[in-house]
Amino acid sequence: MSQRIPLAWLQLRHEKMKLFAAVSGVMVSVVLMWMQLGLLQALFASAVEFHGSVNGELIVIHGQYEYLLRNQPFSSRLLHRVLGSPHVQEIYSIYAAPVEWKNPWNGERRTIQCYGIDTDKPAINLPMLDSQLAVLRQTDAFLYDRKARPGFGPVLEESAKGTLIEPEINRRKMTLKGLTEIGASFGVDGNIIVSHANFLRLVSDRASGEIDFGVIKLRPGADVVEMQSQVQAILGKEVNVLTRDELCERELLYWRRATPIGIVFSTGTFVGFFIGFIVVYQILYTDVTTHLPHFATMKAMGFSNGYLFRMVLSQSLQLAMLGFVPGSIIAGILYAGLRSATLLPLRLELSRGIFLLAATILMCVISGTLAIRKLRTADPADVF
Amino acid sequence: MNNISTYPIISAEGINFAFGQGELRKQILFDIEFEIQPGEVVLLMGPSGSGKTTLLTLIAGLRTLQEGRLNVLGHSLSGASQAELLVLRRKIGFIFQAHNLLPYLTALQNVQVMFDLHPEVTPVEGRDRASRLLQQVGLGERLHYHISRLSGGQRQRVAVARALVGNPQIVLADEPTAALDGASGREVVNLLQALAREQNRPILMVTHDARVVDIADRILHMQDGRLTNNSRDSSPLTSLAMNSETST
Ligand SMILES: Nc1ncnc2c1ncn2[C@@H]1O[C@H](COP(=O)(O)OP(=O)(O)OP(=O)(O)O)[C@@H](O)[C@H]1O
Ligand SMILES: [Mg+2]
Repeated sequence: MSQRIPLAWLQLRHEKMKLFAAVSGVMVSVVLMWMQLGLLQALFASAVEFHGSVNGELIVIHGQYEYLLRNQPFSSRLLHRVLGSPHVQEIYSIYAAPVEWKNPWNGERRTIQCYGIDTDKPAINLPMLDSQLAVLRQTDAFLYDRKARPGFGPVLEESAKGTLIEPEINRRKMTLKGLTEIGASFGVDGNIIVSHANFLRLVSDRASGEIDFGVIKLRPGADVVEMQSQVQAILGKEVNVLTRDELCERELLYWRRATPIGIVFSTGTFVGFFIGFIVVYQILYTDVTTHLPHFATMKAMGFSNGYLFRMVLSQSLQLAMLGFVPGSIIAGILYAGLRSATLLPLRLELSRGIFLLAATILMCVISGTLAIRKLRTADPADVF
Repeated sequence: MNNISTYPIISAEGINFAFGQGELRKQILFDIEFEIQPGEVVLLMGPSGSGKTTLLTLIAGLRTLQEGRLNVLGHSLSGASQAELLVLRRKIGFIFQAHNLLPYLTALQNVQVMFDLHPEVTPVEGRDRASRLLQQVGLGERLHYHISRLSGGQRQRVAVARALVGNPQIVLADEPTAALDGASGREVVNLLQALAREQNRPILMVTHDARVVDIADRILHMQDGRLTNNSRDSSPLTSLAMNSETST
């Protein structure tokens, strides 16, 4: 109690309803921004879930690769050329193609994305994959993506009961041997993983060695950028050699161009920002207006404009903090709900939190700065 | 005593003041000339609209001086900067007709907040001084009451404490008793006078209240923007004024 009087706060909380309205406004705005940015990021993240799981520094794709579902295979023999480099530890091949899944329960046909991996040296890091490599070698075995969209049938429920699941995939009877996790995204409702041999059985028009992704694992200490240009030079123009981040970026670039979701969610984020801005501005403006005689009195008594400006600005910062914390908690709860409903990889990321905190503070400070202009109309000569 | 007391607290000469421009220009104050000496309690009286409040706002640096010479607490007000006026106002204790207290603060906080203007006073000391002063105005039991829970007289007593807590070099009051009934008005004026006397602070108070004239060392009468009695000798309380003068 021996502190200076927290004048800004005492004035702010004097009218509880107004404070509540202002804090709610900031909260709604914060929740909206979290949701919009989160969904945008999650949708994009889901599009590169596979690319990001590739276990190697450099990835080779066909020169005409557009995105996951529009690709051309290239010969894996090309890859062997780089094995001579002392910095290359290992090369891997991955096949990828959409296949037709016939729902064993209702006979409906749907497209599912199929990856063929080398079961001796799998080139991707996926949950539970390593322990299931042995069973994958069996003829017509496959792993199912537990984050696939519903529509392929009650695969998870039935397999949990131990039911033998043998759907027709590309008109070939396959056997479910286990689960893994990749996740649905744009244009891909679900995924399955098979061995190279089984992939070639499934996708009969694919010749052996005509692969979709070549993965190059470098020895520790190798210069990735330098190796990238070396490998590109060795392999020639038919293929592109990208780092993993570049591959993800390229995939995202396609989706940014192909879909309006970037614009939609960015707009949504801005709307959230704007709502908060308007509410805080309205509240602070009416607050300054109702307290105008008090501000005029304080000016008359010798309080400087700067003192009063700081008072309103600290009120705006207080509103920012009061709205941000519960808003983020609500967003966290909504994320959890949406995560289980949509299987989207929604996470309260620290970096996004920092960004949103900065946005919230900016929003409140802009509102405060505008509301402060009203302060100038407080004429201390009117107080007598 | 500080050096301020060696020359007039306020000296005014040839002040003319008008509101409005051109056709709408209306002169309110005419050739105002007076002085206030250290320790003096001066009342400014006169009919409504005669310009008393206007003169007070000029003295407090709340309006810009147009013509004449006005010196307040050693500050010359002609052409003074906003920053200088702010410095001046911090040396003045203000009491308004309506108490003008901050409704979202308690009595104590209303007084304490004045120390935000005096960063050299520590918060602990500020709080002590504020509560001591409130005790002196009889509100020791109500330090933590919000303003809405105080009576009109009590509010004006808080305002008195607020005006005095920063050790002002002069107190300017504009009809501090107007909103109060006779008894509480009297009480507030007595308190103000007692505290000011104790610390030898001069007071310039505008009032319509004939019942409080006895506290004054001197009365200035204003009529249509002119001071009609500009000398000590015309005051009904000359003897009192003479006494206080000899004591300084
Ligand atoms: N801001 C203003 N603009 C224009 N005219 C004003 C303004 N303030 C006061 N006046 C005029 O100046 C004159 C003097 O006003 P002032 O408030 O000084 O009178 P007063 O002596 O304090 O009266 P009262 O006893 O009623 O308070 C009045 O005629 C008033 O209409
Ligand atoms: Mg007046």
